[in-house]
Amino acid sequence: MNKTEQALETDSHSPNDGGQPKQKRDYPGALVVVEGIDGSGKSTQLYLLRRWLELNKYKVHFTEWNSSPLVASATSRGKKERMLTPTTFSMIHAADFADRCERQIIPLLSAGYLVLADRYLYTGIARDGARGMPVDWVRSLYGFAPKPDLTFYFRGSVEVSLRRILGGRSQLSYHEAGMDMGFSLNPIESFRIFQGRIQQQYDAMVEGDGFVQIDALKPVADQQEQVRQVVESRIDLSKFAPNRGER
Amino acid sequence: MSDILTMEEVAPESEDLSAQDGAMGSVTRSGEYEVRLPDLDPETLSGQLVVIEGPDGSGRSTQIKLLTEWLEGRGHAVQTMGLRRSRLLAPNIDALLGSNEIQPLTMALLYATDFCDQLANRIIPALQGGFVVLADRYVYTLITRAAVRGLDRDYLSTVYEFAMDPDLLFYLDLSPTLAFERLFEKQNSVSFWETGRDLDLSPNLYESFVEYQQMLREEFGVQTEERSLSLIDGGQTVPEVNRRLRESIAELLDIDDISYEPSDELLPIWNL
Repeated sequence: MNKTEQALETDSHSPNDGGQPKQKRDYPGALVVVEGIDGSGKSTQLYLLRRWLELNKYKVHFTEWNSSPLVASATSRGKKERMLTPTTFSMIHAADFADRCERQIIPLLSAGYLVLADRYLYTGIARDGARGMPVDWVRSLYGFAPKPDLTFYFRGSVEVSLRRILGGRSQLSYHEAGMDMGFSLNPIESFRIFQGRIQQQYDAMVEGDGFVQIDALKPVADQQEQVRQVVESRIDLSKFAPNRGER
Repeated sequence: MSDILTMEEVAPESEDLSAQDGAMGSVTRSGEYEVRLPDLDPETLSGQLVVIEGPDGSGRSTQIKLLTEWLEGRGHAVQTMGLRRSRLLAPNIDALLGSNEIQPLTMALLYATDFCDQLANRIIPALQGGFVVLADRYVYTLITRAAVRGLDRDYLSTVYEFAMDPDLLFYLDLSPTLAFERLFEKQNSVSFWETGRDLDLSPNLYESFVEYQQMLREEFGVQTEERSLSLIDGGQTVPEVNRRLRESIAELLDIDDISYEPSDELLPIWNL
């Protein structure tokens, strides 16, 4: 069969099967994702989880949102010149995420890694939804992404996030505060409104997307203990244990 | 906003590309648009969108230059657009096309972003200002290219749902053999992407080119099955093709006199 015929055969897939024609693949690896608003402490928690796994020599790989060098330069140019509309903002991040999926996440999952992702497609959905994009469309846009085995949602409060972020650096970034949306000329007020809307978007996904919600206002060590327990109970860590598959 | 015209006659030798006579009424521009760009009122788009599609070497850009001059001569403001021309992404896509570090899905989404940026910053403002937008290719080519690389059609259609339907859609049809000859005359080679070398169809560039162009043509037909499409034989002379285009556009814009004498500046491409 030639390639044209192959292309024609993809016809029957639903939109949510995404750009990848090979749908519903089972990967030998596993994917653990953390989500939450800026300043919720999710990166710290994922870092601690990663250290635990690494120190125990599990086969892990860490990946983060917006890290693809291919697209990063365009994203930063777009942000700097403030020429991104909600739709282009949405699409450029989907492209970036696609690159991360095609060149990192999918190959790593296929190679049997436990992949730890700091932010995943839900970040795209939550942010774009907060910018007024139709959530269903954004979800379809991300239809190519493998479904995580475990998604942690660190649910804190916007005020705490604000304090944490302002404690660490002098000012809020333009897009983090959603300044492109014109909610308020005051970056702090804009951050409150924008991150509040993102949190609402996350809240709406908890059930349907099976998030494991963690109270991000609890002490760091308590949260981490809970995270490690959930990982141990939900992921078969023996698959990623040291020496497995080696001589 | 006038309705999309359905052209009754198509070039006779182009039998197997799905040309639509009396095709189902296309979705109006507003129908899809509202959903996607929340801030846009489709009622404000008073201009007209004319899309010219066709393979490499079919003369699209030549025709757009001529049509621009003709329309401006008739007092119509014109805005042009083409793929990979956004301020946002064009430099990145150019660089990526030159590297081997890009996968089909990412490439498709980058093209989509580039398109969306032009839509927001170039096409919509022009349509709101009552311009005639002449598009050198449109979403159909983008979807077609991605689809022949194995991406899911339904997925691609969803991605491009934000794009409004054109008022007129032309396809300048050209056999791969003739396209190959024209490209070679013009640039003395065919490029990696024109030959679809990433698909590994054949190490022979001519064979690869022909097979790739046939795949594209076939897929394009599938993409536009349900649209009114004016098929024009791109193998005709420049003036002949141009007359066909002017006839349709004149009808869309209520221009009575379709005569056109190209300026000295454009005579070289007119007599190509």
